[in-house]
This record gives sequence, structure tokens and C-alpha cells, in this order.
Amino acid sequence: MQRIVVVTVVILLAACAGQPPAPVEQREEPVEERVRAPSQDEERGLQVYPLRNPAVTELTESAREAERAGDLDRATVLVERALRIQSRDPELIQYMAELQLAKGDWEQAENYAARSFDVGPRVGELCSRNWRTIQVAREEQGKTEGARRAGERIAGCPVEVPERF
Amino acid sequence: MPRKKARKTSSNARRPGGIFRRVLVRLGLFGLGAVIGLGVPWVWWLDREAGLRFSERQWSLASRVYARPLELYTGTRVSAEDLEFELESAGMSRASPTSPGRWSRNGNRFDIHVPEFVFADGRQPAVRFEVDVREDRITGLAAPADESIGLVRLPPMEVGAILPLDARDRTLVSLADFPPLLVTGLQAVEDRQFRRHRGLDPKALARAAWRNLVHGQVVQGGSTLTQQLVKNLYLTPERSLLRKFNEAIMALGLERRFSKAEILETYMNEVWLGQSGGRAIHGFGRASEHYFGVPVQALGPEQIALLVGMARGASWYHPRRNPERALARRNLVLDMFLETGLIDDEEHRRAVDSSLGVRSVEASSARTWPAFMDLVQRQLRRDYRDGDLRDSGLRIFTTLSPAAQRRAEQALADGLDQVETTNNLAGLQGAVVLADPVSGEVRALVGDRDASRAGFNRALDARRQVGSVIKPFIYLLALADPDRFSLVTTLEDEPMSVPLAGQPDWQPRNYDGNFNGPVPLMNALVHSYNLATVRLGLEVGLPGLFHLMAQLGLDAEVTSHPSVLLGALDLTPLEVTQLYQPLAADGYSTPLRSITAVVDSSGQAVGRYPLRLRPIAERQALALVNFSLEQAVQDGTGSGLQWQLGREELSVAGKTGTTNDRRDAWFVGYTPDWLGVVWVGRDDNRPAGIGGATGAMPVWAQVFRHLPATDSRRSWPDGIEWYWVDWPENRLSAEDCPGARAIPFVAGSQPVDLAGCLDEPQDSPQRRRFWRR
Repeated sequence: MQRIVVVTVVILLAACAGQPPAPVEQREEPVEERVRAPSQDEERGLQVYPLRNPAVTELTESAREAERAGDLDRATVLVERALRIQSRDPELIQYMAELQLAKGDWEQAENYAARSFDVGPRVGELCSRNWRTIQVAREEQGKTEGARRAGERIAGCPVEVPERF
Repeated sequence: MPRKKARKTSSNARRPGGIFRRVLVRLGLFGLGAVIGLGVPWVWWLDREAGLRFSERQWSLASRVYARPLELYTGTRVSAEDLEFELESAGMSRASPTSPGRWSRNGNRFDIHVPEFVFADGRQPAVRFEVDVREDRITGLAAPADESIGLVRLPPMEVGAILPLDARDRTLVSLADFPPLLVTGLQAVEDRQFRRHRGLDPKALARAAWRNLVHGQVVQGGSTLTQQLVKNLYLTPERSLLRKFNEAIMALGLERRFSKAEILETYMNEVWLGQSGGRAIHGFGRASEHYFGVPVQALGPEQIALLVGMARGASWYHPRRNPERALARRNLVLDMFLETGLIDDEEHRRAVDSSLGVRSVEASSARTWPAFMDLVQRQLRRDYRDGDLRDSGLRIFTTLSPAAQRRAEQALADGLDQVETTNNLAGLQGAVVLADPVSGEVRALVGDRDASRAGFNRALDARRQVGSVIKPFIYLLALADPDRFSLVTTLEDEPMSVPLAGQPDWQPRNYDGNFNGPVPLMNALVHSYNLATVRLGLEVGLPGLFHLMAQLGLDAEVTSHPSVLLGALDLTPLEVTQLYQPLAADGYSTPLRSITAVVDSSGQAVGRYPLRLRPIAERQALALVNFSLEQAVQDGTGSGLQWQLGREELSVAGKTGTTNDRRDAWFVGYTPDWLGVVWVGRDDNRPAGIGGATGAMPVWAQVFRHLPATDSRRSWPDGIEWYWVDWPENRLSAEDCPGARAIPFVAGSQPVDLAGCLDEPQDSPQRRRFWRR
């Protein structure tokens, strides 16, 4: 009897010890299902990307490997390293946004995606991924109105290349 | 006490003949008793103590602070000169790169052999490769073994260490990780019977005693490694019989309780191998890094021989202070290696012929950068306990760029000399902060014109009035209200008087005492007109300004006096850097960082400081301010800059700042890759006789003249449109109209009036929206 009391107390105390653990639920995978896959239909040909640095490519590939292996922290570190080399690469910044999304850091996911949109082509597949990320991140933060506005922006992605002078 | 007893005994004696014998016997018995009574507990205590202290002992490991590693890949922006500096800073020596830790250069080609290094994100094995450096960038990277490598990191420079209180500096290495030659070689030289004896080696002792007797002085020690360890760990260095006795007992005690491997491993991490400034180098791991700049695993036979030789007397055989003696000792050790079959003839010949190969004092005594270390330590003390920092061997990875730091130091020292000469002044001081704006990583920090001087760190602690450096934020606040303000909104630069409650009216003046009448808003910022700025500031309000500064990451003390609008606000150079960081980073704010990761001695990350972004709401207004500050450098208050800088290709935005009576001179400038803040003034806050453009800008230009620049460009946010404007009037114009100038607007805030030159239909979209993004 005494033992049961002790065990119960310990369990109760343990529950007070820290943050309650995040609810473990098997939801749809936000990045693949809700960002990457639906954006693939967008025209890629419209996009103007800066020339990729081979070092950045190598780091990004390692990051994708880490991501596939489920090691999101390592993937994040590698992308951060790549960002030190090309700090305004929209594709790289969007990748970071998606990693943050996968980690559940909604705020950073939204901010990185916004940054990617600002420095990016603002059309095509990347634009779609930008706004889908923002949409999901806002939904998760309970910003319904903001998520709806982000959803509207997705529709504006497949426009013609803006005139440049 | 014993003597008294003895005397008493003799006084009681009656028969003189027998008495003597009896006394002797009693004395003998007493002696025996004393030996048993005192000696046995003493021995027991020593023996127990040796065991206890050994098993409870914990290494105190200094924490090490590293600079950011230089990433080498095709396209890295680095000059050959900076690459050489980075290699030297990384502790590598210029020699044939057959072994790790060495590099050579032939014209544009560098042949580099980096040693293995464990970074915060993993281990990079030793690798040899070649890079070509042309026109300040790496044009090729290849491994001779023809493996394809995309990028390699140089080992980071060690910027400093946080030592344990006993100032012992060591790098722990487990026995299995020491090179076999070092492990066996040490025994061959110091204690050949180590594997067999039980703590003492009577044969060696006798041999040593005999030789010492023959020579009439101590020429050889017969101590085993265990005895030496006991001496190093627990005993004082005096030479006495009692200490010898204690040492022997404790050595026996250690051997009884612990394995040979434990004892040897402890010895190899404990042995004293020299002094460097205030720190004592202990153990072969640290000694290898200290003397050769490579991990112990990378040592060659001649290097191992030198360190093994130094174990006998690190001061006497010190390779820098007594190189000849050290060389003779090393070769003697190499002979012993040969004699015991540890190396062959060929290796022996090559090793004996090689130089000592010890790196320079400068390279190994960790160049001191007190200002940056100060910043790192403040951040660390926020997050870690002092004891952990001193003892637990943390590895702290920072953001410092050694090459940029060197340039910043040089620029401040030379720049102030030059400013003083040109203006016939003396006693100026200054500070420089250099950061990567996008990541917020601090790349260099100088807090004194003599950068090696530790003490008052002006970059962090000099709170000085900022003057016009504050102005862009007033304009940012105004432009964030596009219904009221655009870059062409007309402002009045006319005399004014601001009534203040309970104080005399405040009458701001322009820098040159003139008035400029109606001016476009952008010109008021570009030329830093005070009166127009105060008018604008009063319209947008002080509370808004302080709120904005808080948004940008700065907690400034809120005041209500409108002189804040002209920079009557005390900030440190680091705070000013934080304030401008979002401007330089397209409107994404991030806290300035000096540390990226902290890793414990087992390689586990205990602290990560990832890049976190926060978009500021006023990104469009901020882009317009950026545009204005680029104009300021082209033809405003910073117009001398391009000439001083001599780099037309750099897109620079910048702002000067000068305070009342020319006490403080500021220049804040940024390119897409770098944000630099320079403050110049006097420590006693007396008038310094210089302004932002004459005192601080030349220093900034010197810093930036050789900083590497990438192709990165600042971006325009969504919702900015360009229009031709009938400059300086608040009217739309067209490209072919005289005096037309292209100006960016927050969409919808462009003027509605048209210039006289325009006679086409007013709302022709082609004409008006000809240029947008």
C-alpha cells in the first residue's frame, strides 16, 4: 500500500516537473502534404533563381538526407550553414521555413516563408510554397483571418512574370 | 615527548653497566613502538589517501572559445592575404603539408592539410586539398587524391579560453586515442619496467643511485611513471627523503588499486609540459595543440619525441626558450626509440634531420581579442554558471571573423591617427562593431584604439549621444503612414521654437545655421536637416519613436524632451548596431549574436543559438529609408565616402551622426553583406572637434575597403512602385521630362498632381505605372 502511495506521489510530482509533453498525434505531414505537393503544379519555368553555389547545393543535399532520416535539428544546422554562404537565397530560406514547420515552430516557419517571398520571384512554385507555409503556420497559431489571407495569396502565384525595366 | 620519556628512564637507572644496555633495549623497543604506532597509521593513511584522491579526482577542463570557421568552396570571397592570415590564426604552420596542420603556397595555389576537427555539428576528418585564389575569391578547390570535395572548413581559430581557477590548461585524451608511439615511447624513455613493476622499480632506483653516486650529483632519476604521477598530483616538488618515502607508499597504493591503463592515462593527461603566459600546459593533448597546432593523433615521430623529452623538464627543455637543448634531448629520445625498436632506421634518420617545427609564440598564445571575448563572456554568464564555464570543458563556437577583426582593429588605429593628424587633434578614442546584418552575427568588435588593451570596452559600454544617427527612424515612422508621407512630401526647414512645459522654449538649429525652406522629405534625410526633421518628428510623436525602437530590438530609456529627435539619446555602439540591423537586413530583425553553439566535452550540444527572424511591419517604409540612405552616401552627408572607399561596385547606405559641440562622431553604414558602426570621441566627453563625416566615416571606409563582398543584393518588399517625379516638386513626371527622377513609393502614396511637362491624358496607366516591382 505504502509503495503504491509513493509511486503515485512520484508520478504526480513528475507531472509537475516540466512542461506537459506536446500531444503526440499522427497528423498529416504538414510539409509534404500541405506545402510541397500542392505547389508542384505551378509552372517552374517562370522562376528566376540566382545561380546555386555548389557548396550550398552540397549542404542542402546533406540537410535533405538528415531530414529524411528524421534528424530535423541537424538539417536546420546545415541549412543555417548554407545561409551563411548565401543569405538571400529564396529557395534556401523557404527550405528553412519548411523545416521550422516540420519542427512545429509555427512562428519561425511563417517568418522564414515571408522572407523567402520578399527576396524570391513572387511567382510560381516557390511563391506557392511560401504562401502555403504561411497559411499552415497561421492556422496552427490560430490566426484564422491571417491564414485565409495567405490562402488568397496562393491564387496570385501563377501570374506572368512582372515587367522589369 | 619521546625524548622526555627517555631521559626519565635514564635517571631511574641504578647500575651504570646494565643501565646502558637497558636504555638501549628500551630505546629500541620505544623506537619500534613509535614506528608501529605512528608509521603504520601514517602508511595506512597515505595508502588510503592515494586511492581516495585518485578515484575522486575530476579533471577541471578549461572552456575554449573558437572563432567562426572559414568555409572554403569555389566562390569563397577571400584574398590570398586573408587566407594566409586565417591559416596562421587557425594554428597551422607553413611547411610541407605532408602531415596535418601544415600548408604551403605556390603563387595563387595553396596546398592545405587541415587536421581533424570536431565542430558543433560533427567531425571533419583530416583532409589535404588545394585551392586557387584569384582576384579575392577561390576559383578552384580540389583534393589531390581526386576525391570530389565541395567545401571544407578550416579549423577555427582559438580566440580564448576560460581557465579553471588553478589555470591548468589541458585537453583530455583517452589512452586509446593517444598515438601508440607516444604511449610506448614514453615508457621506453621514462619507465621501461612500467608494465611489470608494482609502483616501484628497485633496479632502476639502484641504477640511478649508483650513477648519482659516481657523478657526485643527481644525474638520473629512478622514479617510475607512477611515482612521478604521485609527485605531480599530491606532493610538493622539494627533494627530501620523507617525500620520497611518501611518494613510494602512495605509488604502491595506486598500483594496488588501479589498473596500469588508468595510471598511464592519468599521467599522460597530467604531466606538466610548459607554461604559456598565465596558463600551465598539462598533458600531451594540450601540449600537442599548443606547440604544433594539431591534435595529438596527428603528431609525427619527431614531434612525439620532443614532447616525451619535455616530460623530464618542460622548462629546461623548452623548445622556444632553449631550442638547442630541446633539440639535443629530442634526438636522444629518438635514439632510444630506435634502440628499443619503436622506429626504424629510415624514420630515425628523417626525424633527426627535421627541425623542431614548433609554431610561433603568436600563433599558439591565442591572440587576445579582449573586446570580443568580453561580449562572448557576457552572453555566457547569462546562460551558464561560472563553475561550469571554468571546469567542464565546454567548447564555445562564436561568430568572430579573424580577418574582419584584424581589419577593424587596424582601421580604427590607423584611421584615428590619420584623423588626428589631419585635424591637429589628440586624445581621440573609438569603437567599431561589424556584423553580418542578415544573421545578426557579430563579426568583429573593437573597443579601444589599442585593440590589445583589455579594460573599458567602448563598443559595449560607452553610452554616447547618437545625434543624427537617430533620424532614419523618425523617417521610417513617418513613411509607415503612406497616406500622409512619401519621399516627396514637402517639409518646411524653417526656424522654429518648441514650447516645453516648465522649461524655456526649445529652439533647434541646423548644423550650418542656415534654413533650407520647403524640401522634399527625402532630401531632409539625405542632407540631415534638423529643423525639417524636428517638425516631422513632432508630427509622428515621440512615443511612436520609442515604440518603433523597441520593435527593432532596442530598449532605450524613454524621455519626453523633443531633443531626442536630434539624437539626445545615449546609446552604445552595439545598441546602434542592433537598431540598424533590420534596416540592413531588408526589414527582418534578429538579435545580435556572438555565439552560435556551445558543446560539452563529450561533443553534445548543450546550447544552440539558432537564427530567429522577426519581420518588422514597416518593411515598405524601411525600403524607402534604405533608398534615402543610399542617396545620402551618394550626394548627401556621406558623399565623401565613395571616394574614400574606392569601391564603386558596393551598394552602400549610410548615416553620419555628430553631436553638440562635436563631442561624438558616428558613422553607420551597410552593404548587403556587412553592417558597420563606428564611434569616435573623447573618453572625458569634451568636444572632440570632429563630426561624423570627418571623424568616423574615414575609419568606416578603411574597415570596408577590403571586406569581401558577395553578389547578394538587398531586395524590395512587396508593394513598392516606382514613378518618375518632377524632382524636387511633389508632382508626377515622365522619363523624358527635364529634371525627372525615379522614386519608389508605397503603392498608392505617389503624388496625384502632374508636372507641367505632362500633357498626355492624366490617367493613362502606361504613363504612370511604367515601372513597378
